[in-house]
Amino acid sequence: MNNRPSPKLAIHRREFLGLSALGLGISLVGARAAAAAPSVASPDNVAILYDPVKCVGCKACQMACKRWNKLPNESTDPLGIYESPRDLSAITWNIIKLRRTEVGWHFFNYQCMHCTDAACVEVCPTRALFHDPLGFVALDRQKCNGCGYCTQFCPYGVPHLQVANLLTGEAKSAKCTFCQDRLWSGIGGPSCAEVCPVGALVWGKRGDLLDRARARVAELQAQGLNARIYGENEAGGLRRLSILLGEPEEYGLPSVPKTPAFARAWQRIIQPLGNVAFGAALLGILGTFLFVRRKIRMEEVK
Amino acid sequence: MTVQLKGRPEVIQIQWIPKYTTLERAAHWIHTATFVPLAITGMILYFPFLEPLAQGEAGLFIRLVHRVAAVIFGLLPIVYFIFEPRRLLMNIREFLPNKEDLGWLKAAPAYYLLGRHEAMPPQGRFNAGEKMNGLVMIVAWAVFGITGVPMWFGKGVIPPEIFRWLVVFHDLAMIVSVCMFLVHLYLAVAHPLMWAGLVSMRFGVTSAEYAMVHHAKWYYGPKRAMEIWEAKKREAAHKGGH
Repeated sequence: MNNRPSPKLAIHRREFLGLSALGLGISLVGARAAAAAPSVASPDNVAILYDPVKCVGCKACQMACKRWNKLPNESTDPLGIYESPRDLSAITWNIIKLRRTEVGWHFFNYQCMHCTDAACVEVCPTRALFHDPLGFVALDRQKCNGCGYCTQFCPYGVPHLQVANLLTGEAKSAKCTFCQDRLWSGIGGPSCAEVCPVGALVWGKRGDLLDRARARVAELQAQGLNARIYGENEAGGLRRLSILLGEPEEYGLPSVPKTPAFARAWQRIIQPLGNVAFGAALLGILGTFLFVRRKIRMEEVK
Repeated sequence: MTVQLKGRPEVIQIQWIPKYTTLERAAHWIHTATFVPLAITGMILYFPFLEPLAQGEAGLFIRLVHRVAAVIFGLLPIVYFIFEPRRLLMNIREFLPNKEDLGWLKAAPAYYLLGRHEAMPPQGRFNAGEKMNGLVMIVAWAVFGITGVPMWFGKGVIPPEIFRWLVVFHDLAMIVSVCMFLVHLYLAVAHPLMWAGLVSMRFGVTSAEYAMVHHAKWYYGPKRAMEIWEAKKREAAHKGGH
């Protein structure tokens, strides 16, 4: 006699192996490929530092951004005071606004914060938004399908949808890309920082900029100002560092950006739970199918 | 309807009784024909391994398919309500749980796995499993609509804090309804004892003989069905005593 198991047993074994393979497959499919996000911003990352005390509000940064990224003009509210346009949009990625804080009115520059713990990258289903190895959050518009999740999860309200057709949903996400094409082709740094005539916006290695920011904050504090760094640890560390003269809330910035945690809970807890549910349903059905096929003889069913 | 099998003298008599209207069957199949593409296109954004299909032009296309299917999926029950409001309300009433459902759920494994029907308490036009499927689909339809319409038109209009929850609830409704759908699909097309369901959904009728056994409360009326059920239980107990 040979050592091969009886045919009946062989079927059992094959089915068992099949079921196990299916279960394993489902759990593998369920594991969202870990985004290549470093948990801590590296000091070697490129970054921008903004110093509102140096800023004179000339808007050269805003213009340079428009010009380099070929962004069209935006018709603006004629009653608007200094702020024009009023806010970031799909065609305005960099803007100077007037803020009233405890030290009175002063300018503040808004653009993408290039978070380490970026909610937009987390929720993007196409990987159009991704962490560039240089440190910034890059955007590949070719890959974007216009779903708009990034616009809804960003704690800073930075990405905006350029909607071509609301009905069909045809759209593309748009945001400050750190002038990714300038960095990738070695032309230089982000045009806003390159153009700034007073050194309010500077770019460089994040570690160096943090040192500069600390020294600057100490200097401002010595003058009696309530100065602080924003972005050292927020959302895992921002690559757009700012010096604030007051609470982050006075600038419309969250002290604790919570949405990255929400985005993670959605895609790393609820979706895997869903995969477990799909897996259980499929395994249950397959198990029942195989069991029933053997147990219920149609000839005996009345 | 009479059927005579080849080479057999006896004639089988089948009495068909109506179960679904034409509109109900059409609605069921249009619902299927929209639910499946909705689930598939939705899952392309859901499963990371389907990412290539979500990117760029392909992604724009699947989002368009999702929207076209969603409009039909969303309007379908409303059309049904306009043309057959009383049937719709009757069906919803029949989907509501009652106390026989628990007994049915307890007896279901023996029936579905081993083909033993004896312990199944009498059921109405829908049994407890069908009710579960119906209720899940009704609730999911509502959740898809309530969350989906603002996700379509509400970006930049509704606060992001609310939008984030809409996405989560849209996902949850999808997870529950797709699981239900998988079970429903298997039972309808592959389970050897469930052939009657597909016949009813294709031709709108069910055989009296099947209804007598499986939907006794519908066939006999609740009172008579319970009497028959009690008598059967007494008889079984009597036999068991000997």
